Amino acid sequence: MELIAKISKGTLMDQVYLPKNRTSLPTGSYVILKPLASLIQKEEKITLNFHGIKKIEPIKLEILDKIIRTIKKNVQNYQNIIITGSFLNKGFNFNDLDILLISDYPISTESLSKTLDTQIGIKMHILSISNKELLEGLNSDPLYELMLSECISERKFIYKTHKNPNYKLLDLHLLNSKVIIDNFDILNGKDKYNLTRNLIAIKLFLENKRLNQKMLTNFIIKEFDLSGINNLKENTLNKNAFLEKFKEIYQKLFNRIIQEVSNDSK
Amino acid sequence: MTQNKNKIIELFISNLSNAIVHYILEKAIDFEGLAEKYRKELINSFEIAKAYRNKINPTDKPLLTDLTIIKEKLEKRVNNELKLRISRGYKNINLSLVKPEIERVLKELHVT
Repeated sequence: MELIAKISKGTLMDQVYLPKNRTSLPTGSYVILKPLASLIQKEEKITLNFHGIKKIEPIKLEILDKIIRTIKKNVQNYQNIIITGSFLNKGFNFNDLDILLISDYPISTESLSKTLDTQIGIKMHILSISNKELLEGLNSDPLYELMLSECISERKFIYKTHKNPNYKLLDLHLLNSKVIIDNFDILNGKDKYNLTRNLIAIKLFLENKRLNQKMLTNFIIKEFDLSGINNLKENTLNKNAFLEKFKEIYQKLFNRIIQEVSNDSK
Repeated sequence: MTQNKNKIIELFISNLSNAIVHYILEKAIDFEGLAEKYRKELINSFEIAKAYRNKINPTDKPLLTDLTIIKEKLEKRVNNELKLRISRGYKNINLSLVKPEIERVLKELHVT
């Protein structure tokens, strides 16, 4: 039984009056008095901010709400939580959940990941990164721009970027995609998709285009003459035609990047 | 079978040389690994090389019979890739890292 009562002023002592007709709290029993305000503190409402996402399944929103509450409880001194990756795509065909934890202080992502994994039951891929690092990534790496083109964040954010390609870094990123050329037969559709996405993102980044997932997908379909992106994701490609185009784009990009590295060195 | 083994060794060398080039280029740009953080999910040459290594017998002992040829080919491929960049004006590439890096990765993959 719980009662709400007012403390009233007495002569020698102040008191709380209880109604005579009550089902418990008999005379002589001990009770606890607590300020009402401490009991009715409302659970803080979390408002999510959507970037480039129009719709998401309600159950996913519940999961995101729980993730953010758990992070808030376990991590201090962070500036924002950004959720990104395949979890935000339509449907439930995702492997893990990508979380960017923006903080200028070091955060033990391993223990946080374990906590979230235990409480929510989804594999988490948490990346702790400072605002400076994120901005640096956005200015120099197309995949960062792509990542933030579709995401959900706890707090609103605007990053004013100005593209400043680090050509040596782009050379390194491009080298990742070379894997397809030598290993076409053993790579699965997901790997091929990721590596092609990397290649095309570099191309569009260098063409100074603003990147987003939809635009990238359309570009890949058009450039490789696919019937749809699932052609790539489900590994049902025409090997020769695909590789020929891939090599052509790769070589052109490589030449351009190395030329720019050379110009930078002069 | 031999032809198959030779093909696997070729693919192993090709991927491993790519991984070594990647490592040496990282050093050339004073790379702190910040921008690379998000790329961890991209499958990389070293992982693939590792998978190929596990297909070459003996998997848990050094590849004594193939070792010389693997080392020679690796060194040639890595140097070619790096020298191509140097010839086009890419600075700070340290070619003296090639041999120690080859030794390191081969040891890690139980090739030596």
